[in-house]
Amino acid sequence: MKDNRFAIYRGRTRLLLSIFIIILVISTGRFFYLQAIKGTELRDLREQNINDFEYIYPKRGRILSRDGIVLAEDRKVYSIAIDLEQKPSEKSIQAFSNIFSDRTSFEEIKSRVEESLKFRRSEVVLTKLGQEELAKFLVRGEDLTGFSIIEDYERQYDPHPSFFHVLGHMGYLTESDAAHFSTRIDDYDSKLWRKVGKSGIERVYENELQGKHGKKFFQRNARGDRRVITGEEPFSEGNEIIISIDYEAQKLAYELMQGNKGSIVVIDLKDFSIPVAVSTPSISANDLRGISSSQYQELLNDSSRPLFNRAFMGLYPPGSSIKPLFATFAISNSYTSWDETIFDDGFFRFEEEQRVFNAWKEGGHGYTDLNKALVESSNPFFMNLSVKYEKSKFVELLKSSSFGSKLCEDCYPHQYSPLIDDAWKRKNFGKDLFKGDFINLGIGQGYMLTTPLHLSLIAGMLASKGQYKLPYLVRKNELDFSIDVEIQEADWVKLNQALIDVVYSSNGTGYRIKAGNLNLAGKSGTAQVVDINSREEYDEVRKNINLRDHAIFIGYAPFDDPRYSIAVIVENGESGGRVAGPIARDVLEELIDDI
Amino acid sequence: MIFDLRTATIIVSLALIILVGSLTVYSVTSIDIYYFFRFLLISIFAILLVTLIFNQINLNRILSVGWVLFLLNIIIVLSVEFLGSEVKGSKRWLDFGFLSLQPSEFMKITFALFVIQYLRFYSFQFNTFRTLFLLAVLFISAIPIIIQPDLGTGLVYILLGLMLLFICGMNKFYFVGMAGFGILLSPIIYSFGLTTYQKSRIVSWFSSDQNLSEKWNILQSEISIGSGGLLGEGFLNSKQNEFNFLPEADTDFIFSIYAEQFGFLGVLSIFMLLGLFIVLTTVISMEQKRLTDDLSPYFLGTYFCLVIGFSFLLNILMVSGLIPVVGLPLPFFTKGGSSLLCFSIMIGLIFSSRNFLR
Repeated sequence: MKDNRFAIYRGRTRLLLSIFIIILVISTGRFFYLQAIKGTELRDLREQNINDFEYIYPKRGRILSRDGIVLAEDRKVYSIAIDLEQKPSEKSIQAFSNIFSDRTSFEEIKSRVEESLKFRRSEVVLTKLGQEELAKFLVRGEDLTGFSIIEDYERQYDPHPSFFHVLGHMGYLTESDAAHFSTRIDDYDSKLWRKVGKSGIERVYENELQGKHGKKFFQRNARGDRRVITGEEPFSEGNEIIISIDYEAQKLAYELMQGNKGSIVVIDLKDFSIPVAVSTPSISANDLRGISSSQYQELLNDSSRPLFNRAFMGLYPPGSSIKPLFATFAISNSYTSWDETIFDDGFFRFEEEQRVFNAWKEGGHGYTDLNKALVESSNPFFMNLSVKYEKSKFVELLKSSSFGSKLCEDCYPHQYSPLIDDAWKRKNFGKDLFKGDFINLGIGQGYMLTTPLHLSLIAGMLASKGQYKLPYLVRKNELDFSIDVEIQEADWVKLNQALIDVVYSSNGTGYRIKAGNLNLAGKSGTAQVVDINSREEYDEVRKNINLRDHAIFIGYAPFDDPRYSIAVIVENGESGGRVAGPIARDVLEELIDDI
Repeated sequence: MIFDLRTATIIVSLALIILVGSLTVYSVTSIDIYYFFRFLLISIFAILLVTLIFNQINLNRILSVGWVLFLLNIIIVLSVEFLGSEVKGSKRWLDFGFLSLQPSEFMKITFALFVIQYLRFYSFQFNTFRTLFLLAVLFISAIPIIIQPDLGTGLVYILLGLMLLFICGMNKFYFVGMAGFGILLSPIIYSFGLTTYQKSRIVSWFSSDQNLSEKWNILQSEISIGSGGLLGEGFLNSKQNEFNFLPEADTDFIFSIYAEQFGFLGVLSIFMLLGLFIVLTTVISMEQKRLTDDLSPYFLGTYFCLVIGFSFLLNILMVSGLIPVVGLPLPFFTKGGSSLLCFSIMIGLIFSSRNFLR
């Protein structure tokens, strides 16, 4: 009986022992599977666990002026950060705060260290170390365990305010920046970049300037508070960009504006590059770095709009400065000839609408031909012509002289002069253009608006007899354009002569420029800021500086073999000849002396 | 003491397991040799002490206070609820300064002493009342462990308790009945009986979502094991441990670190040593019957052998991802006073079972 029961016990124990052995065999199989079959795969996963890397931001490429002067470059800056591997001791915090007692305090450093350890993040405690501070830190190295030097780059610009608008500025990457660059740069990974070009060359040539990240390889633990550096892959520096801006001429142009609002754009007619593009007032590009948002808002709200690039964005009525272009149009379509004269008594009477237009000169210019109309700037002469303009041909002229299209591929931000046609007017005023509109358009007023860049290009078109290319700052645009007029060589010579007479003949509106042997040809203009119907009203307006007319001068030099075209706009400067003209003269002299 | 080949094999394999376990604890915790000696000495000292003491004291004496020890053990487990320190959401530790103990571990021993004392009184004859009484004691005594909450230890305690009753000859139909009942009841227990923490452990084991932290633990464990390959990375070369990727590397998951260092060859060696040790000790325990009519040493010997064997296996299955993470210690590997002490006492009891080593 007892033996029988004991047989049951032994049977059960054996059964359990067998289960034990079976599970042991299964476990052996499982370990064989994990270690022999999946071993390599799992080891790869382990390496992924441990090995990590972080990007090293590349040094951004330099920007140089056409004469080789550095306008923007990345310079090394040194900061001190908390080293997570060797946590700073009380003693080294004390030593650190003693050395830099002028910039920080023991309590401040201590709280930063605590924060750093809490979030396992290497906090930066001091930024932008000077040479002396750097030396101090390095000498006292052993007392300062737990702190380490980190190198970084900071963008440095030529401090002169004339360069800000062309160069642009850098800023923290936003979602819209990411969207902008991902359509322009192949394989753009927005997560890799902290700061990007926000405007100007910095933005347009972001791809070339940005360079390629390096990588710092390290092994890390699961909590991320221990790192062993295992290797480094150096970054590649961004490309150098040479822009067409002439260093001295650009600076001079800015100074000549004497703080007035306005813009100067020069185009080199040899290749249609832009050696001068100035917008005033402006700021130093360095000032925007590390600016507080309230200071930035202040700049945005400044009524003189220093952040607004007038050269590429500002839209001004061209006034009389557009007349030479329309002169070629009038001759091409036989609306007039160099021999035809009219009597200018200071008024233009538009019979269809029974309206009378005032001209700027009291009593008028008397008997006036095309040459005189240009030299003395007769409005009634051009109003008289403009009522004859055929709408479609006029629109073709505007189109062929780059109204309504992009002028410059690497100017950013950039605005094009609106193309005034039926579609434009319908969109803005709900009806088609009518005859009366042409009277104002014909003297560069009314709906007509151009950017300073466009005005300079129009001067260039006149200088090179209607043939032109699109202007550029870095990359040449090879396409050829020409304005849609068919006139004889002799007509171009006469037009050239008229523009010379503007400057050199004693009755010319630009005679006071005293251009000397610069051989300047050009056309002045005055753009009304408000519509004025009577002379009394005009005097009233003059008292308010901001309502005074804009002074405009466009021109080119030397007139026998034109090399540069220029447009100068001085907001509320009143007289194109007296105010804008001399500025154009000085800028062109600087450029031509260089040749 | 006369050493025959089997006894010698048992001693050597146990010594090797303890040595390897101590080395592994040392490799995981620190590069401080102190940890190695502490672990090695505690285990050897505990085994020798318990063996010698129990050899001097008649097993009958120990068994006669079985129920007292069991009751005391339950009271201590309950008091931990109020006095113990909380570790990872469970209160199950009693801190003695140099040693923190988990009293519930010892219930595997004291329950066995109680059951055998009880059954010996009836010459190990079961009837319906005794069966139901012992089952009730088992399940009720598991409640304090489960509410700590430590479902893993509680379930293992119940399973091992049932194994003891099985060894002692309880009618097999009860086991069939309980198994059926358990399967039917499991959905209800899952919905109402488990805390979120416990559910997440079970869910993570079935889910394929690698982000769940429990799943992550298992994945890291498998990575450690797999990285060892056939020959291992070498002693002290566990990168998973060095870079802290394996949680609980010094306790529940210590075997993964061992596997990374010593590879499949090392794992196979440990399995063979374990197999030898368990099979031989069990076989020797089964021979007790020839020497005496009292079956208590037989039951105690075989039960403790199998407890050590299955505890080892459950941990192995857990770290290699074959069963859910239940937080079970690995005998003679897991750094932790209570499990080391507990298993040392079991070895001591096996060795001191009457005439085991003659």
